[in-house]
Amino acid sequence: MTHLELENLASEYLEGQLDAVRRVQVEEHLRECGPCRGLVSDLQHVMELCHSAEDLEPAPWLIAKIMRATVGERKPTFREQLAAFLRPATEPRLAYAVAMAVFSFSIIVNAAGLNLRKLTLADLNPRTWVYQANRTGHLLYARAEKFYYDLRVVYEIESRFRQLRSEPSQQEPETPKPEAPAGGSTDRNLPGAAQLASVERLTTAAASSMGRAAKVADKGRSSSP
Amino acid sequence: MEHDPELMRRCLAGDDSAWEALLRVHTRKIYNLCYRFTGRPGEAEDLTQEVFIKIFQTLKTFDAAQGAFPTWLARVARNHLVDHYRRTKKDRVTSSLEDEPGGLEEKPSPTVEPVAQVESRERKELLQQALDRLSPDLREAVVLRDLQDLDYGEIAQVLGVPAGTVKSRINRGRLELARVIKRMEGMRGPAKAGSRS
Repeated sequence: MTHLELENLASEYLEGQLDAVRRVQVEEHLRECGPCRGLVSDLQHVMELCHSAEDLEPAPWLIAKIMRATVGERKPTFREQLAAFLRPATEPRLAYAVAMAVFSFSIIVNAAGLNLRKLTLADLNPRTWVYQANRTGHLLYARAEKFYYDLRVVYEIESRFRQLRSEPSQQEPETPKPEAPAGGSTDRNLPGAAQLASVERLTTAAASSMGRAAKVADKGRSSSP
Repeated sequence: MEHDPELMRRCLAGDDSAWEALLRVHTRKIYNLCYRFTGRPGEAEDLTQEVFIKIFQTLKTFDAAQGAFPTWLARVARNHLVDHYRRTKKDRVTSSLEDEPGGLEEKPSPTVEPVAQVESRERKELLQQALDRLSPDLREAVVLRDLQDLDYGEIAQVLGVPAGTVKSRINRGRLELARVIKRMEGMRGPAKAGSRS
């Protein structure tokens, strides 16, 4: 194969478009000929340079410019107008805003004690809303207070009972049982007796605190119409 | 995305949105073809617009049996570019000394390293300047094959020459381009020439 023949076949060789016989001939020539190897290498470099060249972006207004030059100012179709009108509604922030509005409205309705199924004209008066919200707040406060007192009393009684159960078992092995003196009962001097007396006192205190809490709750209720 | 035949059918029925869709699909390709021929972004924009005006006016003459729409579009663009080349040959000779080199007006990408950006820009400028020095016949063959990725059959249709001539022009164009690039790299300095390996 001559240098000129190789030069003519160089592109087809690099693109893999030569038949097997021609390809072998070209490869044999390239093994022996340094300048032709250089030529094929340069050609490969050019092809790589071209393939690595990225497309340029036309100016963003070019399409609009061509549209004006060909069809003129295009009037948007009804569909496009509708889509443009509804575009803000598809944005997530609108969905968040609607969700927050519904949430706030439900809180207000609950606090005002409104029944949406049986709505009267008086229910729409802001003074009624304020009154209802105030009443709901007081009721909530009274219930919470009652719950707190009940819990405290129950806890105290439980702890005293626990103390009572544990004390005799600790004292029995240490102190021998005293003999009963003649002439009367000594029940009051028994170690458990004093504790039982204190439980009684506590129960009385619990009853009075429950009574107090109930009064507070009644006061909250009595403020309602 | 709708296919060209469907968009063409709607275009011919007077649907402007179909024409806009066609423009969105093909403008970039035609703009790049024009840019590779002129080397000037502004001129390439004007030529792209002129090509599409011509396409819009002759849309009815398109015959799908003679080739796909992109091939027809490339043929119309190529003929327009050749006309433009002939028309402006005299002006180009007189103004070539005054013109600044066809700048590649690209926005720097924030994600690419500055050194890589400079190298990429230099490679693009080198390629464009080398393409500008080729004869139109060879340039169009190389551009259609290596930059527009058309196959030999499509290029033959666009240029209106036999496939053998296309092969020969592409090979000669590449060889000429390789010589020009080598010469330019030699002029820029051995360091840059060595950086390609």
